[in-house]
Amino acid sequence: MINISETKTKTKTETKTKIIDVQKIEKVFTLHERNSTQVTGFSDVSFSVNRGDLLALTGVSGVGKSSILKAIYRTYLVSSGEILFHRSDKSVVDLVTCSESQILQLRKREIGFVTQFLKILPRVSALQAVAAPLVETGVSEQDSLYQAANLLNMLGIREELFNISPLTFSGGEQQRVNIARGVIAPKDLILLDEPTASLDEQSSDRVLTLLADMKEKGIAMIGIFHDRKKIERVADKTYEITRKNTEKPFQAIREVA
Amino acid sequence: MNSTTFAFIDEDAKKEIRRSLLKAVALPGYIVPFASREMPVARGWGTGGLQITLSIILERDVLKVIDQGCDASVNAVNIRDFITEVTGVKETVNTSEASIIQTRHRIPEHEFAKDEKQILVFQVPTPEVLTTVEPDTAKQKQMHANSDYAKLWVLLYEDTSQYGDSRISNRYPVLINDHYVMDPSPIPKYDIPRMDNSPVLQLFGAGREKRIYAIPPYTSVKPLKFDDREFKVESFSGISCERCGAQNVFFDEVRRETGNHYFCSDTEYCDQHLEKSNAS
Amino acid sequence: MLLEVQDLSKIYGNSCGSCLALTGEEHGRAICPECASVVAINSISLTARKNEILGIVGESGSGKSTLLQLIYQDITASCGKIFFNGLTDDRNQPLNILKAMPATVSHLRNKEMSMIYQNPHLGLNFLFSAGGNIAQRIIGAGERNYEKIRKGALGFIDRIDMETSRIDDYPENFSGGQQQRIQIAKALSSSPKLLLLDEPTTGLDVSVQAKILDLIKELQQEIGFSMIIVSHDLGVINHLTDITVVMKHGTLVEYGLTDQILEDPQHPYTQLLVSSIL
Repeated sequence: MINISETKTKTKTETKTKIIDVQKIEKVFTLHERNSTQVTGFSDVSFSVNRGDLLALTGVSGVGKSSILKAIYRTYLVSSGEILFHRSDKSVVDLVTCSESQILQLRKREIGFVTQFLKILPRVSALQAVAAPLVETGVSEQDSLYQAANLLNMLGIREELFNISPLTFSGGEQQRVNIARGVIAPKDLILLDEPTASLDEQSSDRVLTLLADMKEKGIAMIGIFHDRKKIERVADKTYEITRKNTEKPFQAIREVA
Repeated sequence: MNSTTFAFIDEDAKKEIRRSLLKAVALPGYIVPFASREMPVARGWGTGGLQITLSIILERDVLKVIDQGCDASVNAVNIRDFITEVTGVKETVNTSEASIIQTRHRIPEHEFAKDEKQILVFQVPTPEVLTTVEPDTAKQKQMHANSDYAKLWVLLYEDTSQYGDSRISNRYPVLINDHYVMDPSPIPKYDIPRMDNSPVLQLFGAGREKRIYAIPPYTSVKPLKFDDREFKVESFSGISCERCGAQNVFFDEVRRETGNHYFCSDTEYCDQHLEKSNAS
Repeated sequence: MLLEVQDLSKIYGNSCGSCLALTGEEHGRAICPECASVVAINSISLTARKNEILGIVGESGSGKSTLLQLIYQDITASCGKIFFNGLTDDRNQPLNILKAMPATVSHLRNKEMSMIYQNPHLGLNFLFSAGGNIAQRIIGAGERNYEKIRKGALGFIDRIDMETSRIDDYPENFSGGQQQRIQIAKALSSSPKLLLLDEPTTGLDVSVQAKILDLIKELQQEIGFSMIIVSHDLGVINHLTDITVVMKHGTLVEYGLTDQILEDPQHPYTQLLVSSIL
């Protein structure tokens, strides 16, 4: 065992280290309320992502992209397959079988999820909402608020909105607050569910710049994107979900483009 | 039966009360139930103390009975007369001479003999210290077992925060031997420190409530008090007895139109003090 | 591991010996067909780690509150084991607190664990002031210095966003929401490692409910303690908890991350429960 892994690392000295390895996962929903009907969410999905890389999930609506992200985050329980997460201490955790408590630990420091919609309490200001995940990791409130303000600035949220509940914001503003909230605390892997879906060109641009910065810091990401131009700008690989799932190196798309 | 037994109570009853007393002495401050008998006085008039005294008294004993420090009050006289009649023991008002002192609501001023041979028998109206904070007797027992007196402390906390100090004037809760908290009977706060490490055996009887408890000689007795607060007893500074001139004792306060008058609460102490000052 | 519950059961009635096997979710009943004993809790095992927030959901009569009361030692379990925070016996073996000395149980209840009840009359002593109620737990945890007790009580009154001038008022003079706040202050004043909450906001105005839930969450993040919260309200569970336990007929039918339970429920009963959200 040890020998094999050593040779592996030797052969790819130049390449980045792997952070996640999704192997043949399948999700079948059993609807007990509907005479136990079985619905397949996705099947035979396999891909891997390296640290500092962004994998773009593509495919038509309803093909199961969000479900895959949820499965990685354990919001969905997969029916079969393995999701191996390589931690920075070199240990490997199977996100399918590890305990709930382990998942909670990983969610705190290592795996983040930026959902499509902002889900926060109606009584919290934008600044507080963004700072909260950082405060939870033990950073002082003052420092967290400072970083939150920087991040919101970078994403083009006007300062006059900082102390207002983001639930009163426009869709695009809410989405950016949500992204800021999702990325403020340091993580190793971040799952992004259509991070630029409802953003205008300028806002999209700011978000993509932020994602590029994050890659520079070595953060791996798996994101759902539709726009090919955006994919070209930030993705290292795409994984197109169809009936037959294929993982393509990014170059392939660029050649096509 | 045409004649009563020695000390009125039948031998079986004495045996039962003595067993309860032994248990009480073995578990200082712990309340032991006993089968309180009918006495020739009504319950609530000292029948608990009376039954203890009658159960332990021997022909050679010398008896003193006081009521709030006074040997001559009707109640004290009646109980003393009754006991001497059914036992034939010698009676006295002299604290140092007495081997058994039955008392209601006071501890005599004179110091007790250090030889642990004197016994103080208290008459108790309300033996359970927790009644004020916990009406459920089963829970009271649990709280005693766990030495859980937080609720009593809360009363002390509330008095301290609202009035600056405890408002309890008598029956001040005391911690016995660092385990049980007990009701010392309605003695004034002045007498509380005098229970601590006392050379006498202190026995407590509640006839109506059918309970007995005890503090063996030289046992630690501490009033409940916060670490950062003093336990304050009644203050009589600058006051002396109008009859004998004594100072630094517990006084009875008599209010008349002419103002407040103070006399020794312990009549025997007052008599002796008066005798001494007359002689000198 | 802060709390470990193993095969915990509570049977009301003279058990015939096969009650546990004949009841539970798979039999669709909590009453033993042999001896008519009521099996309130049937062989439940669960764990709570440091800082984790556990939710217990289920319909009325599923045993949620009973489970909480068994953990808090309000009632005595029929069988099973409960281990708490590395507590050991004199032979250094993990101590089953069902078999612990009364003094140990007392310490657990007065210091290490706190319970917040739906009915403030169960959690507060209405004969004591707000401050007195808080003081009771601070004293129960061993403090005997008046100034420290008073300062502690004032601190917690302030922490639950209440005017400190109200410290000496009695519970009956507070609103229902304020009474729950005082319960929270009281429960947390002994710095417990585990807070048990039994429907803490049921029966309160929606706006008051939200503020109390915020307060609980805020204090949990600030102070850091584990919680087990019983609620039939999935909104409350979603808002507060990390892990959710679903109960029916005294048995545990599903255990998982709260978002998983809500978004990908596995058990038919959980699916029904989640699909019933308005």
